[in-house]
Amino acid sequence: MSFLYPLLLAGIAAIGVPIVLHMIRRHTRKRVTFSSLMFVRTTAPRLRNRSRVENLPLLILRCLLLILLAVAFARPLLSRQEPETVVRAGRRVVLLVDTSASMRRIGLWGQAIDEVRSVLRDVEPMDRLCLMTFDRSARIQIGFEQWAGLDVSQRAAAVMDCLSDLSPGWAATDLGRALVAAAEAVEDDEVHDDQQPVGPRQIVLIGDMQQGSRLDALHTYEWPATTELVVRLVDPRGLTNATLEWVAERDRLASPDGNEAFRIRVSNSSEATTEQFQLQWDAHDARTEIYVPPGTSHVVQVPPPSDPSAIHHLILTGDDHDFDNTLHIAPRLQQPIDILYIGRDDPNDPQGMLFYLRQAFGVTSALHARVTSRRSDGALRVDEVVTAHLIVTTDVTGAEDLAILRRHIETGGTILLVMPSAQAATMLSALTGSGRIELQEADTDRYAMLGRMEFAHPVLSAFSDPRFGDFTKVHFWRHRRVDLAGLANARVLAWYDSNDPAWFEVPVGSGALLVFTGGWHPADSDLALSSKFVPLLYSILEYGGVRMGTQAQYVVGDPVPVTGPAGPQRDARVRKPDGAAVALDAGVDTFIQTDLPGIYGVESAGETTWFAVNVAVSESRTDPMPFENLERLGLSMKTPGPAAIGQVAKTTIHRGLVETESRQKLWRWVLVAASVVLLMEIWLAGRLTRPATESQGAQP
Amino acid sequence: MTEAPTPFESRTTSGMIDPAALMKIRSMELRAKGVVQGFLRGIHRSPYHGFSAEFTEYRQYSAGDDPRYVDWRVYARSDRFYIKKFEDETNLRCHLLIDHSRSMGYGSVGYTKSQYAGTLAATLAHFLFRQGDAVGLATFDDRITQYMPPRNRPSYLRRLMAALEADPQGRATDLGPPLQRLARMLTKRGLIVLVSDLLTSIDWLESDLGYLSAGGHDVVVFQVLDPAELNFDFDAPALFRDLESGRDMYVDPPAAQKGYKRMLEAHLDKARTACRRLGIDYHLFATDRPFDLALLEFLQDRMRRHKQQVRRAQGSRAGRMT
Repeated sequence: MSFLYPLLLAGIAAIGVPIVLHMIRRHTRKRVTFSSLMFVRTTAPRLRNRSRVENLPLLILRCLLLILLAVAFARPLLSRQEPETVVRAGRRVVLLVDTSASMRRIGLWGQAIDEVRSVLRDVEPMDRLCLMTFDRSARIQIGFEQWAGLDVSQRAAAVMDCLSDLSPGWAATDLGRALVAAAEAVEDDEVHDDQQPVGPRQIVLIGDMQQGSRLDALHTYEWPATTELVVRLVDPRGLTNATLEWVAERDRLASPDGNEAFRIRVSNSSEATTEQFQLQWDAHDARTEIYVPPGTSHVVQVPPPSDPSAIHHLILTGDDHDFDNTLHIAPRLQQPIDILYIGRDDPNDPQGMLFYLRQAFGVTSALHARVTSRRSDGALRVDEVVTAHLIVTTDVTGAEDLAILRRHIETGGTILLVMPSAQAATMLSALTGSGRIELQEADTDRYAMLGRMEFAHPVLSAFSDPRFGDFTKVHFWRHRRVDLAGLANARVLAWYDSNDPAWFEVPVGSGALLVFTGGWHPADSDLALSSKFVPLLYSILEYGGVRMGTQAQYVVGDPVPVTGPAGPQRDARVRKPDGAAVALDAGVDTFIQTDLPGIYGVESAGETTWFAVNVAVSESRTDPMPFENLERLGLSMKTPGPAAIGQVAKTTIHRGLVETESRQKLWRWVLVAASVVLLMEIWLAGRLTRPATESQGAQP
Repeated sequence: MTEAPTPFESRTTSGMIDPAALMKIRSMELRAKGVVQGFLRGIHRSPYHGFSAEFTEYRQYSAGDDPRYVDWRVYARSDRFYIKKFEDETNLRCHLLIDHSRSMGYGSVGYTKSQYAGTLAATLAHFLFRQGDAVGLATFDDRITQYMPPRNRPSYLRRLMAALEADPQGRATDLGPPLQRLARMLTKRGLIVLVSDLLTSIDWLESDLGYLSAGGHDVVVFQVLDPAELNFDFDAPALFRDLESGRDMYVDPPAAQKGYKRMLEAHLDKARTACRRLGIDYHLFATDRPFDLALLEFLQDRMRRHKQQVRRAQGSRAGRMT
């Protein structure tokens, strides 16, 4: 038999009280009230042997009662397995060390190393340990099996050697994912080790537990009840940490020259001791002073740098930690877009379609669209067609020109064919390679509207939101009716309200031919005057493979797409901020080695595009996270002292004893026995004291 | 099936009412009435007829006296006019003087000395009321705590009973001050019945009682003691607490009993001697004695005293007539 709270057995010492009372109880126990003692002379008590215990059965009952109560409070249990056996079972410990950017603060990494060393001192030879580091993701540095394979005397040194090669990176913190990975690592290790008794399972988290840590992964994870989390916090030396963030980049994209002020949000930590900071471009330009009280953030307008086309770094000074004080801004170059219009229109004729096409593709800071027009005269050059990002054709007559265009489509190009008249049927047949297609002018009563639209198509997906999907204000005075029976694989994007196809797509080879049965010039419709016109053209442009408004700002660890207009770039390489060049493998369209903050250059075909990688803003929220955040997610938390692992082992043993005890509930039977003894004591005491009561005189 | 006897039927072997049974009756008035009626029923063939109804006194006729009250028999024998006293003038004025000190709160027989003394006083009061005497009451501890002048009205008897039922709340017994004060208050002679345990210093008892007897009062002393006080027959050593002083004393009764009895006897002797010296009737009652017996002893004493007074009166009248 063992006890859940053996210290309470000290209550048995209370039996000394009744023993002493029974020994010292003299003749004075009996008290008699008498009318007057005027005739009484005091008499010396007749001495008795004081070592003699009076009323031995009563004393035994009282002592037994106290012993039973002490035993009941100590919560007895019948344990088949001695606690020592449990202690001997190997513990499984995951050392989870934070290597996120916030650990770059002054002094934190050194503290983390010390904490690891402290934990290793308490590790027993039979324990199994796993060393994991984490930032956005968790990485096993030394696994359980590797640990077990090491010589016992070399284990701690191996861990320290491994850590000496590591240092905090620049990535953000995903604490939830790391904890899930650690918990699964512990559980997976036990699956392969059924023969060994189950010992305590523990995850020792060593880090700064900053508020910017993500915990999303824990929301859908059921934390193992027997796995305990021990947090060893490391404290920074300085409490002031400010950070900066570039907001509203899209506003700058829309401006034609991009020479507007930068809107920068500066945030200060809640425990900061300083509130005055400075912002400065590249140490050459003037400083911008800013006051940000602790725990708040301000958005300031920072004038653009003197040379907008150069690489820029906006640097914040004035706080204690500079790991997040630099904002890298990639120089954005205008992306040249070539649009080829094949038709007879005069560019300045508002009755033609070209006029509106040129108006739609204006110049912005992100795009520089060049619309070139030419007539179909049979002299269409292949290079004109291939370099064009989008081809819009309204009139093609030459068979050679049609053949070039068809080849362009077959090789993956996209052409928008607008049929201004019923004579375009031959053009449609030639480009799609189908037979004769019936095309005739539709008989329209005043006007036709777009009745049904296929918003699932990439061209129209931008209008899928009901706020933007209302095309009923677009009136088509004229349009052509096409019999799609000859185009088996045609996919209709939009229908008129007469159920005639308005816009459809015909896949040809690896490309696609988009067909409008009605134009946007005033003779056919007022589409060009609609607010849908420009987005529709840009959507078609993107459908053709042009990446517009490409984001140039990323955070550390983000995958960055590096494809060109025509798919993955060949012979491209990425130059990292530290100067290292990473060659992209053929077919790879994403660069994932964004492990450093700074400006990255993608070099391909003699051109260089830039993107910036910064430290995640969440990483700058360095105030400590309350432990309650983790406890609310079901984690069993401990904030231990130096002997953390040993304590947790004892805690686990204790938990096992609690479960056993709660199953057995022996204390109830002990209390029943105590109640019986109490009744016996009451009965016996009443019997023994009755004669004395009768001898007493009546009271007034 | 036999019915349980009523308290009045629960008599001792001597035919008296068992006081333990009587004390179970809560009403003091009922207790007193029961004792008196039972007593009178038992003595109807006896020569005791009370003591104040026949008590007469003659005085010589003087101008202004009502001629209706002239005793013509005496005139026929002595040729002198003598006025016979009226009955109301000869009625007894009795004061019941009840000790309400704390020591009276002791009792080992199921009721206290105070309850016994109250019942005894109530019995006397009821008896005296029946024959038309006025009865008053004074309770005291070391001072008079309550005083009710003698009256003879039925409602007054109930008030007396209620006052007698009160538990003793007093302090230590001290007969001197209350008796002195009573002697000053009582200008008319009468009967004073003192019911007390006299557990006080006996040295001053004689002088204290002397205040009353010197005033011409007939004084009767009933000393009421509990059987345990008389015998001190406790068996086990114990810590005894004095009810009046609150003093604790360790006493081994078997060892102390002899000395106790000796000192108690000396105390009682002194009390008895003092009373005899002052011409006071003294009665010692253990609280387990029947009330009938107390009443009987009381009446016997009163009759004896009455005869003596009659003899004295006749002797003096004969002397005057000759």
